[in-house]
Amino acid sequence: MASSPQEERNKTLAALTSSALLLPAYNVAVADAPPDFTEIGMRYSKYKEDDLSAKKVFGARSQRMDIDVAQFHLLAPVSDDWSVALDVGWEDMSGASPWFVGESLVDDGEPKVAMSGASIEDTRTEVSVTTRYYFDSGTAGVNYTYSDEDDYESSAVSLDGSLNSADGLTTYSASVSASDDDITPTQGKYPTNTLSATKDIRSAWIGVSRIISKRALVRFGLSYTYRDGYLTDPYKYKDNRPDERKEWTVSAGYRHFFVEQNGALHVDYRYFDDDWDIASQTLDVAWIQNVGQDITLAPFIRYYAQDKAKFFSVVVNDDIDSEYFSDDYRLSAFGAFSYGLRVNYDIGNWSINADAERYQTDESWGLYSGEESPALVDTWRYGIGLSYAFK
Amino acid sequence: MKYLTGLLVSLLLCGCETVQPWERGILSKDEMQWQPNVMEARLRSQIYASKEASSGGTGAAGGGCGCN
Amino acid sequence: MVRVEHNFKAMGGPCSLRVDTDDKAAANMAVKAAVAEVARLERKYSRYLNGSLTNRINRAAGEGLPVPIDAETSALLSYADTAWRESEGLFDLTSGVLRFAWDFKSDRCPEQCEIDALLPLVGWDLVRREQDSVYLPMAGMELDFGGCVKEYAADSAAMQLRRYGVTSALIDLAGDMVAVGAPQGVATGTAGWPVGIRHPLQKDRAVAGVHMPEGGLASSGDYERCLLVDGKRYGHILHPHTGWPVRGLIAVSVLAEQCLVAGSSATIAMLKPVDEALKWLDGLGVPWLAVDANLNCHGSLALSQHAGKRE
Repeated sequence: MASSPQEERNKTLAALTSSALLLPAYNVAVADAPPDFTEIGMRYSKYKEDDLSAKKVFGARSQRMDIDVAQFHLLAPVSDDWSVALDVGWEDMSGASPWFVGESLVDDGEPKVAMSGASIEDTRTEVSVTTRYYFDSGTAGVNYTYSDEDDYESSAVSLDGSLNSADGLTTYSASVSASDDDITPTQGKYPTNTLSATKDIRSAWIGVSRIISKRALVRFGLSYTYRDGYLTDPYKYKDNRPDERKEWTVSAGYRHFFVEQNGALHVDYRYFDDDWDIASQTLDVAWIQNVGQDITLAPFIRYYAQDKAKFFSVVVNDDIDSEYFSDDYRLSAFGAFSYGLRVNYDIGNWSINADAERYQTDESWGLYSGEESPALVDTWRYGIGLSYAFK
Repeated sequence: MKYLTGLLVSLLLCGCETVQPWERGILSKDEMQWQPNVMEARLRSQIYASKEASSGGTGAAGGGCGCN
Repeated sequence: MVRVEHNFKAMGGPCSLRVDTDDKAAANMAVKAAVAEVARLERKYSRYLNGSLTNRINRAAGEGLPVPIDAETSALLSYADTAWRESEGLFDLTSGVLRFAWDFKSDRCPEQCEIDALLPLVGWDLVRREQDSVYLPMAGMELDFGGCVKEYAADSAAMQLRRYGVTSALIDLAGDMVAVGAPQGVATGTAGWPVGIRHPLQKDRAVAGVHMPEGGLASSGDYERCLLVDGKRYGHILHPHTGWPVRGLIAVSVLAEQCLVAGSSATIAMLKPVDEALKWLDGLGVPWLAVDANLNCHGSLALSQHAGKRE
């Protein structure tokens, strides 16, 4: 049947319209897509631990670790639905680390730290490659990370995926990872707890994020990590830990943009629990303030509090009869506050950023009771980075 | 802790409005990303993990390091 | 309610954004995003800018290597292909090279041989187009997105405004317009943005007015540049098959859901002989206005039968 000229020409409008609607300006589908730009970044950071106060150490050796860190980051689209990311990190460490905590006979049995005798010199190199596939309703990624230093080698593989709901308001995510780590202590002067050991880490995570308004996002996550193998610190004089550890975390995050202030509020919370009786809570709050067109200022604070491990004691006595023991300050009950500022300046395709962070610990800031380890550490971190984006 | 989780879950379930795909300009801004600076976030979480007994929570745990 | 107004220059002409809002800060953010979007498309598709995608495609003509393109460009070329088919070859992104034969600043017409030398370089069907690449097989061939990118940019700017929560705005990119919602604070019923369609011969006079509903309004006209030789007027709209100026309508405006569709419809109508163009526009089923060489007005948007002479 021949169609009338009227219908014929209406077909023209329909053809033009449906062809136009395939363009991104009209296409409001919520498909994930790789970044439009290739992004290259470099960053230098300095990490420095405060010296311990002289009255907390045996002898004169009170200096702790200094680390120089250089990082390289590349993120590039490969096609309309693939991207590749490469992250390389180099660390140069020097300094000393607590060897054990003992009671001072001179100072009424006051616990004091004996530092590792020789200065530790080590470098670490880490290479991490991620490739990601973007499909209509989500993404899938594979990551391989290799890390190598004189006394430690680790390789890890992880898989992750995300799926958006049909209305694009909710995103479900999951990831699993496995790592094999080899420990070969090298320090010469003092005996180490092992000559060669391995550990395996298996971990899984699920999360959900949700758009709750035109200006706010929220997310929740659950994770489980199983560590199996040599978990003792090889260099600590009085350290023997179980060869298995099971960890759980529950976390939540919130982002809210305040248009009048032209800034965004970030709040992140994590609850952690494990079968060594360590529990911890972390709260991170940041404010990202836009200043003019090109500058952002981001002050942030972080609060952290942890309970001690069930086998921790400030001083491990020589006559200890329990199977597991440690005087590592990292397993003690303490609280930590850190605060800092991040500044970012965009110039065309370039972006310069700098940040500084102060981290301070104290037993009395914690939420959990326990004796104070004299080896608790305060640190500074500074960094400066440069990145460049191009098509 | 339980109270906080309960509060957040109820926020998630009922406190949402429908935001159309073409109304998500603000949500896609750099300042609204979960992780604004990848390199800094990597370094920060690694340093915290080396000084504290807990780690993870933002994804599956990766490999370790012999951090002192 | 406040009205945020922003005037800027882009796409070779004066542009403006008007946003009615209760949230000025959000509107300013939206305007910034919309202006950036227009600038992005101009940088990407301008024929004149060194390093633009158009420039790279044109410089690779006849060199043997297809130029990789992204999804947006691929969709834009598919649209151009649809418009070419639907117009029986009148809408042709490769016809821009014909301008080399015509110097509208002079007082002479080109010789037929000058035009004949360029005609082999025109032909959309010669373009080798794949999903992720495009190639112009002959040196000298050119793609010119000028006929659709300004309209597309107006639609894209509207999308950016909507993304930032704007529900009431009018975008004007040098005559190509998109309305988002209706202006606030006016009596409803006549809802729509009041817009004038310029008189083809008098810059500051409107030939018609319209209350624009949600959607796009694009105009095409043969009044900007022309050549007078022996009293005969040669317009700047060149027929892609003959290389000679078209003796058709002198101005066409079309309202459509997308400014892009309105723009290519107006362009196609300009390339057709008057009678055929009027019939074609009529059948399209959207509001339109056309002015012929005798300044007679046609179409559903025409207020009177005659546009009125120069005062």
